[in-house]
Amino acid sequence: MQPQSALSQPSWRSHLRALWMIAVNNWKHHWRYPLNAVSDMLQPLVWLAPVYFMGQAFSVNGKAEGFAGFAGTDDYMSYILLGTALTNFIMAVFWGMGFSLKWDMDGGVLEANWTAPLPRPLILVGRTLSSLATTTLTSLGMILIGALVWGFHPTGNVLSAVLVTIPLLIGLYGFGFAFAALVMILREANTLVDSGSFIVMLLSGANFPVTVLPRWLLPLSLALPLTYGFDAVRGYLLKTRTLLPLNVEIAILLVSMVLMIVIGLRAFYALERRVRQLGTVGQY
Amino acid sequence: METTLSSGTHLTSLSRTTGLAQLRAFGAIIWREYLHFVRYPTWVIAFIIWPILFPATYIFSSFALAGPSGVGVTRFLEVAGTDNFLGYIVVGTSVWMWANTLLWNVGFALRGEQMRGTLESNWMTPTSRFLFLLGSGPVHAVSMLMFFLFTVVEFRIFFHLTFNANLFSLLAVFLAALPALYGLGFTFASLVITAREANAFVFLVRGIVMIFCGITYPLAVMPPWMQAVAEWLPPTLIIRAARLAALNHASLEVIAPDLVRLLAYGAFWLALGYLTFSQIERRARLKGALNQY
Repeated sequence: MQPQSALSQPSWRSHLRALWMIAVNNWKHHWRYPLNAVSDMLQPLVWLAPVYFMGQAFSVNGKAEGFAGFAGTDDYMSYILLGTALTNFIMAVFWGMGFSLKWDMDGGVLEANWTAPLPRPLILVGRTLSSLATTTLTSLGMILIGALVWGFHPTGNVLSAVLVTIPLLIGLYGFGFAFAALVMILREANTLVDSGSFIVMLLSGANFPVTVLPRWLLPLSLALPLTYGFDAVRGYLLKTRTLLPLNVEIAILLVSMVLMIVIGLRAFYALERRVRQLGTVGQY
Repeated sequence: METTLSSGTHLTSLSRTTGLAQLRAFGAIIWREYLHFVRYPTWVIAFIIWPILFPATYIFSSFALAGPSGVGVTRFLEVAGTDNFLGYIVVGTSVWMWANTLLWNVGFALRGEQMRGTLESNWMTPTSRFLFLLGSGPVHAVSMLMFFLFTVVEFRIFFHLTFNANLFSLLAVFLAALPALYGLGFTFASLVITAREANAFVFLVRGIVMIFCGITYPLAVMPPWMQAVAEWLPPTLIIRAARLAALNHASLEVIAPDLVRLLAYGAFWLALGYLTFSQIERRARLKGALNQY
């Protein structure tokens, strides 16, 4: 008699293959709608137009002297463009990662995917890879167009700035794990996502130095690791005045990266278990 | 067995479409829109959060641009004619929010019915079809008045913002803006049921308002060609007149030129909205595409 064996034989190699396929699937899905991809690139620029003209209304001979008093640079548009490029990742995590499982739910494929012999967070890791790639490309395109229209003058160390974004983004996507599971359990979370992303963007100082925030808001801003990420990237690339010494900001980012991944994964497992207990994986 | 109609009996339709019946139907449509609005309690959150959250980015940016010693304010005073940049931005962004929510609500009114599968059955009733579109306007307009009220209260509490408003002029601006904005909304709504996927159109229209209409800055800082384009857009006139009425206590005479132009634009957009609706409705019935989405 032949011994019974499962048809699936999961190994680290099969997991890697699955990871690759998930990433490729999402990559194809993103570029399948090229107009949406172009819109992702141009939309932030539309939002920047009033910011640019407002900067002009406060500037003399193109120099934002008042702004320099807070930020340590009068290159207002470079400051804003960089902040907006990093904001694209916040939006990708909130809307892309947050809604990724919900879209699978709506598409009716979540239950089928859930039965695959894969660790479930791997599905989100695959999405993270493609989201990182597509958002990086869109942000670079946005900076390029923004540079042509308004100018972009990085005077600092590009490599250091890129290295700083790594713990920043890993931590951000770690948070995305928990958020995706939360959206999966809530199912209808547009208001939560819309206002949540806007508040995080506002408090992390995407468009202004957080030192201009009122006293009652500043502690909330300083409690967000993203604030130090934005600050450090600008400090390296534009030589702006930073909130804390750069090595302290990097230490905060590294610690928060580890914490966010651990918290994100734990929250994901807990919420995912709850959804299975409720039996609502296939409902939307 | 044969069934014949006796010569003395004449067929009459059960529906009797009179002016009063149309008016009752219009009231029912508005009531339905109101029920839809209050049915989803997230509107309360939206009313509390968005009046302050949306302008906040621009406001904190303006604080940063003004500088710790207020050096930027001198320049702003030169180009804008007021140093109340906070009020200046709040008025501009509130009008933008009006246009934005108008496009998503009134602009998608018919599309929403199409998605719910009620468009066809509603259009079979002996009610003027344009009333279904017109009925989406009043509830939105009243909700925007509430939105403006929330904006004033919240900015008073959190930013100690004071307005030097002429309420009569402000009300006149609001009323003069209605035909132009809602005419645009009706035109948009008619096009949406044909295009079906219209998010990109919303992004385009609200993007134009955002770039050209001076929501956070005076038009004088834009290149001349952009200023010329801006003068043709109703939101530019609404923002300019509303700023004068809300911040400078401008009388009706001061804002009258903008109001007259707004009313002229209003007549144009309402007529265009009606014509577009008639054409699209006829086309949709001929093609039998009303229930498709």
